[in-house]
Amino acid sequence: MRTGTRASAAVPVELPESIRAQVGRRFPGGVYTVEPYRAWLLADATADRPEDAIAHPLHAWLAATAGMGITWDELFAWFEATAEDGPMIGEHETELHRPVRMNRSYKVSGGIVSVVRKRGRTAGLFDLVEYQLELHDETDGGHAATCRNSIVFPRRGA
Amino acid sequence: MQVRPAPAASDICVGMQLPPLEVVASVEKMKTTAALLQDPNPIHFDVCAVQALGLGDRPVNQGPLNMGYVMNMLAAFTGSHDCLRRFRVRFLANVAAGDRVRATGVVTALRASEGLSGYLAECDVDLSIVGGRAVLRGTATVAVETAMVAADAIRT
Repeated sequence: MRTGTRASAAVPVELPESIRAQVGRRFPGGVYTVEPYRAWLLADATADRPEDAIAHPLHAWLAATAGMGITWDELFAWFEATAEDGPMIGEHETELHRPVRMNRSYKVSGGIVSVVRKRGRTAGLFDLVEYQLELHDETDGGHAATCRNSIVFPRRGA
Repeated sequence: MQVRPAPAASDICVGMQLPPLEVVASVEKMKTTAALLQDPNPIHFDVCAVQALGLGDRPVNQGPLNMGYVMNMLAAFTGSHDCLRRFRVRFLANVAAGDRVRATGVVTALRASEGLSGYLAECDVDLSIVGGRAVLRGTATVAVETAMVAADAIRT
């Protein structure tokens, strides 16, 4: 997914009911295990030195989205969109309550928080979808991380 | 075990600039990341798809990688990735393969860490293409040891 657009100056527009109905929908969820080879590759991809025990903090986002229980294409379909529509990341927030550790398994849960439709001067019509995911350590149930994200769906044909 | 060099930070105080970090976006890293993220978007690896969408003629870096560069700058500042407590950014523009980007930051507040030793440093963070546009902006909270904080900052 590429990166976003300035959404704050845009004017709100009424949403179709089928899109609005997705607010509150829960992800199936799942379990994600931080395998060392994936941690190594992700750290290397960011031009960082892989560590032995602690995964790169970006792995919280990777674990959350890989363990949410649906594919990106399925998530896009919830909002009547496809990858070809050019969905973009808008904002991201990670709260790390404890480091993400190698060889640990994390239970992933979460859902859709909000959806708004806006029209911007340069961006045109788009939907801004916010979703939140939680990671809990399967070993002791401890809360490891919260990831809040937004996706911008361009609505060129709407 | 990989050992991160000693943190660049000492005498931390409000207004302190974090040591910047520069990275060149690599198409090979984008391909690895597309597989890791199971991201089907071809703009990260297929030049033809990039051209067809009118996005230029170079693959587009994944947004999470851009976040990762800023996280790396914060880890170099504190000495470890496990010091990161909160990270929030807004994405403003794309980075294309071959672009050189620079992560920067500044300490905006210091407060005692409740229930723990040490301090929490609030930082404004930014990633920009060198000589070009801003890519992302946001804020981060990192834990720092008391010994890394300027004595004046503790007194005030």
